[in-house]
Amino acid sequence: MAERTLDCLGEACPVPLVKTQKALEEMAVGDVLIVNIDHSCAMKNIPDWARSVGHGVEIEEVGEGEWDIIIQKMK
Amino acid sequence: MDKKREEYDVVVVGGGPAGMTAALYAGRARLKTILIEKSLMGGMATYTSEIENYPGFPEGIDGIEMMKIFDKQMRRFGVQVKLTAVTDISIECEEIVVSTFRNEYVAKALILATGNKPRLTGAKNEEKFLNDKGISFCATCDAACNTGKRVMVIGSGDAAIEEGMFLSKFATEVIVSVIHDEGKMDANKVAQEKALANPKLKFVWNTVVDSFEGEDMLETVVLKNIKTGELMPFKVDSCFLFIGYVPNTKLAEGLVEMNSRGYIKTNELMETSRPGIFAVGDCRDKVLRQVATAVGDGAIGGFMAEKYVEEVNYVRDEIFGAEGLVMAYVYNAVEALEREYLSRIEQLHAGMDPRVKLRRIDIYKSDRIACRLMYKKSPSILFLKKGELVGSLEDLTKLETTLPAMVSQYL
Repeated sequence: MAERTLDCLGEACPVPLVKTQKALEEMAVGDVLIVNIDHSCAMKNIPDWARSVGHGVEIEEVGEGEWDIIIQKMK
Repeated sequence: MDKKREEYDVVVVGGGPAGMTAALYAGRARLKTILIEKSLMGGMATYTSEIENYPGFPEGIDGIEMMKIFDKQMRRFGVQVKLTAVTDISIECEEIVVSTFRNEYVAKALILATGNKPRLTGAKNEEKFLNDKGISFCATCDAACNTGKRVMVIGSGDAAIEEGMFLSKFATEVIVSVIHDEGKMDANKVAQEKALANPKLKFVWNTVVDSFEGEDMLETVVLKNIKTGELMPFKVDSCFLFIGYVPNTKLAEGLVEMNSRGYIKTNELMETSRPGIFAVGDCRDKVLRQVATAVGDGAIGGFMAEKYVEEVNYVRDEIFGAEGLVMAYVYNAVEALEREYLSRIEQLHAGMDPRVKLRRIDIYKSDRIACRLMYKKSPSILFLKKGELVGSLEDLTKLETTLPAMVSQYL
């Protein structure tokens, strides 16, 4: 089970979502992608999208207005 | 992978204003409380560029900013926050189990604050342009990247018109598709007047969306005139949908009663059809869905959850869990005769074996504890041993002889 981190700090929508989708395409089922974000709009679209395609999602609040979205590729 | 199991007094599902207020009340009552939110704290309030009707902010405030303040205040009272989606809610032997991707949270009381979500048009190719492909539900999120562009708004309610005006600060042109006849909108009058006076807003009356078109990103929205059937293509960079909401209550299906549209039915105490489960905010069947009403719901829900947990603990520890013989007197404290019985029972109890525990259960404000003991009438005395009901005394007229006899029989 590989783990990869994607730094999207300072990037506005829809860039973090597009990068997340690309990164997950290159990963294997069971792998974990951690996306660092600090734009609140990415807090809406990344988890929503990832869940809608069936991945497991949890979010850690790293600091005020900064989050790590942890996505486990499920299929 | 086994899920990690954790126990809480109160679990709140949903981190909008209703959920945060409920958690604040529960946390402040020193209950072990966790709030589970699937993504950004603040719920639908974070989709609003300016909240002007929530008291305490006379100049109005951005929805995201207001929700940050709510969040900060809630966390002061020790509420734990978990940012993940709830995948299942089940009842196991009177315990409420809330499951997420990796954990199971066992709750004494559950507060559902799952809110609602924007409704889709159902037009052709809609799915293709969701998730940042051109269809949006949040002007505050996506206004800046539409600077100098042409956008469309669908709807004529408060959200559509107010957010349309917000978008006009960035976009060169805002086309507004309204289902009604010319001049008729669902928004409040103030917003309507401002919108009609705004030169950047162009209204297209009697229309609905027929299809969304584009290669990868949305390029064209085709509107259809509902009277003539005429199709009108508009080249736009983004399309914002503000045509109402649908409840986020799938998790609660089969668990609590709902109305035909899927909103959870509650009474004014925010109690659902299932004891220990409360519903607050937009997911509830009610008339007005605003931050102000969400906060009111949350306060009541948090308070009632506190009362419920107290009851559960009292019944568990002091009645079902007590050593010896429990003699529970169920009465209504406003009735003079029932108070008189109480003093006679207390006198008799003073001379009894110390293994006999007297519990006074006043049903004046609420008979919920008495209901847990399945009482039949007030006044009456219930006898319990090791958590089991062993007998009851309903005729108290000669209790000086009947009560000691029953006690010696059961002790």
